[in-house]
This record gives sequence, C-alpha cells and structure tokens, in this order.
Amino acid sequence: MKRDEPGNLDLLAAEYALGTLRGLARRAFARRMKRDPFVDRRVAAWEERFALLALRLKPVAPSPAVWTALEGRIGTPVRRSWRGLAAAAALVAVIGLGWYVWQGLRPPAAPQAYAVFADASRTDLWRVALDAKGERLAVDALVPVSVPDARSRELWALPDGGSPVSLGLMPATGSIEIALDEDQRAALAAAKNVAVSDEPAGGSPTGAPTGDILFIAAIVRT
Amino acid sequence: MPGESPGPEQERQLEAAGLPHPAGRALRILGMMAAETARTADSEVARLLAACARQDRPAFQELYRRTSPYLLACLLRMLRSRALAEDALQDAFVQVWAQADRYDGNRGSAWAWMISIARYRAIDLRRRESRVRTEPYADVDEIPGEEESQDALAALGRRATRALAGCLEALQPRQRQCIVLAYQGGLSHAEVAGEINEPLGSVKSWIRRGLTALKRCLES
Repeated sequence: MKRDEPGNLDLLAAEYALGTLRGLARRAFARRMKRDPFVDRRVAAWEERFALLALRLKPVAPSPAVWTALEGRIGTPVRRSWRGLAAAAALVAVIGLGWYVWQGLRPPAAPQAYAVFADASRTDLWRVALDAKGERLAVDALVPVSVPDARSRELWALPDGGSPVSLGLMPATGSIEIALDEDQRAALAAAKNVAVSDEPAGGSPTGAPTGDILFIAAIVRT
Repeated sequence: MPGESPGPEQERQLEAAGLPHPAGRALRILGMMAAETARTADSEVARLLAACARQDRPAFQELYRRTSPYLLACLLRMLRSRALAEDALQDAFVQVWAQADRYDGNRGSAWAWMISIARYRAIDLRRRESRVRTEPYADVDEIPGEEESQDALAALGRRATRALAGCLEALQPRQRQCIVLAYQGGLSHAEVAGEINEPLGSVKSWIRRGLTALKRCLES
C-alpha cells in the first residue's frame, strides 16, 4: 500500500475533525483511526484545537426532560462487558421479556435469540428473531419503515473479529422469514450485534456494507 | 487606605482605568459561581469522567450539569432545532456514560473528547435527517452565537487551544469564515458554499489552504 505523505494525512485528519470529510471517505478514515493509533492521534490534535470554537458558543440550558430521560436510559446497572451497549441492551431486554411472554402463549418454540432495532427517537422499527434450531430468521417490521426509492435496507451479522455477513434485506412492512446458510449461522453465533445498512435496491453489490450503517442492535440470547 | 478593600466608587475608577483591584479576583470568582456561566476547568471534567467510568451516578449528574449547556449550544448550532438537538444531547450523554472508561487524558482534553462525541453524533444526524437541511438558518432564533470567552480558553487551557485563537485570526478572512462555519454549523463543503454563496471549488480550496496555514502557524 502506498504510504500517505504526512501532510496529506494531517489534512485528512483535520477535515475529519472539522466534519467536512463525508460519506465513504469519512467512514474509511474512521476505520483507519481505529486501526492506527498514529492516525487517531492526528485527529485528536485537531479535535483539541477546534474545541475552542465549540466552547466559545453561548451556553443554552437543556430542558429538564433531557435529564429525566437520560436517567431512565442509564437507569439499570449493567455488567461492565455490556457498558457500550448498556442503554440498547436494557431496552431490548425489556421489550424482549414482554415478547417472550407473549411468544410463550403461542405454539411455536421460543426463539434462541432476538434483537430489536429502534430509531433515534427510540421507536422500535424491526424485530429479528432466530428460531430455536438456529436455522431461520423471522424479521418483523413493527411499524411501516420508510425507505427511499431505489434503496434497500440490508441486515448484517457483526461477528466478533470478522467482517459483517449479510443476512438478507429488511421488509419495509410486514414480516418475512429468511433461511440461513452455514456462513450466516456461524456469523450470527459469533456476533454480539446485528446492523442494518443503507444499500442500493436489491442489496449491497459487493457482499460488504457499502452504505451507512443506520442501526445497530444487541443480540439477546434467551 | 492601605490594607482596606476599595469602596464601590474606587472600584469603578479602577475598572474604568482598566486596572485590577485587590478584591477583583475574588469578586469574579463569586460572580461565576452565582451565575454558573463559567466553563468548568478541564481537570475537573476529567475527574468527573473518571468517576463515571466507575459507574458513579452522582458524578455523572454533576458532569451533565456542568457540561450539557455547552454541548447543547454546539448541537443547536448544528441541528437548528431544539427537539433534534436535545435528542442528540441525550444520545451523546448516554455514550459518554457508556464509554467514560475509554477517555484517555493522553489523547486530549476531556472537554474536547465530549465535544467530539456530540459533534460527530450531530454530523451523523444531519446526514440522515432531511428535516435539518430544510430548516432555514435564520429562522431559528435560539441558535447560540459566540460570546466573550476568556474562560473558554482558560477551561481548555492546553497549548494547542491557546495557539488556535491567534492562528485563526491570522488566516485570510474567507478561509477563516469557511472553517468556522463548517465546524460550528457542522456543514459539508457544499453546504458552506450554499451558505456564503460561493462556488464549491473555491470553498474546498479555502478550507484546504486554511487548514494547511493553520497547521503551519500552530507548529511554528
């Protein structure tokens, strides 16, 4: 791989911190920061320099509702290993419990794992459940999800230490079932999270996510 | 008279002459505490973050009390809507709580770490939410402006920060304007171009040249 000139790398770091580096270039650079502490340090130096511009703004007091909501979101003490996913996992657990009880009233066996995707305003969008045998995924759109024309929403397993593995396309409404192949099952078994990305209609042409990762949900194993 | 505090009239005279008076420091400090407008020193923000990493909830609440008005100002400026900005603020603080143990004082200041979490969240939201882009800039009267901010400098207190203030002033006006707009507004190249009504190509090169000049100035 061609080595960047230090000046060029620093300019990329500056534009990342400034926010003008966008789209694929931004995501690629973010991945590089994760891999390379040197790159991360360049970004940190710029974040430091620019921070003054942020801190110079006149403060605005948030409404009390923000703190109340925040308290609710960090409310449940969680194990350290789950810290990053604390809020999501707590939410998923509560929804999951309700669903589990409901599911228990129905003849089919309970799923061995499930995940619920929610948007930024915490509206639940999709529930993904893996059947007891680990062979089929049931995907339910919990509300009609708006997807732009000529785009699809694609579901990915995020196995620990591996690349995302496509599990199929998400329905905008209603429910679908996906039969999993060997690779997909293995990826799910090694994953703590699933994600939904923005892709061209019909899904990623490359087998890897090409668009933004829109949602991430923790997998809850029952 | 020596040994006595100056009276109100003397204070006014000293102030008018631009001279510090003996009680000035204490008065300023009291004033800050009463109004709570002072930016908390970075060492204190770092201490609270370290406590959050140990799951200390009261420390988290204190951190929130001290830093949230500043993060909200950034977010309002970027998202141009109180509802969106407060949602982003909430998400940012959830992330701060969850990742407090990842903050590394060697990487940079605690303030910059928290500001980055909020800003990157807002940049993400701006890309996704078409609502943000259709909101005309001037229509939101709540968008905070800059204020006289010696305490912003004092709170950050790092060499990199102090140098920036001077080096920004030294930039060509167009370069400075583009960089400040992009940073504070969370704008892309194209959005900066739209905002100041200049061609995209010019904006890109002003930003690039401005950043290069900043770097040169900061390293000199």
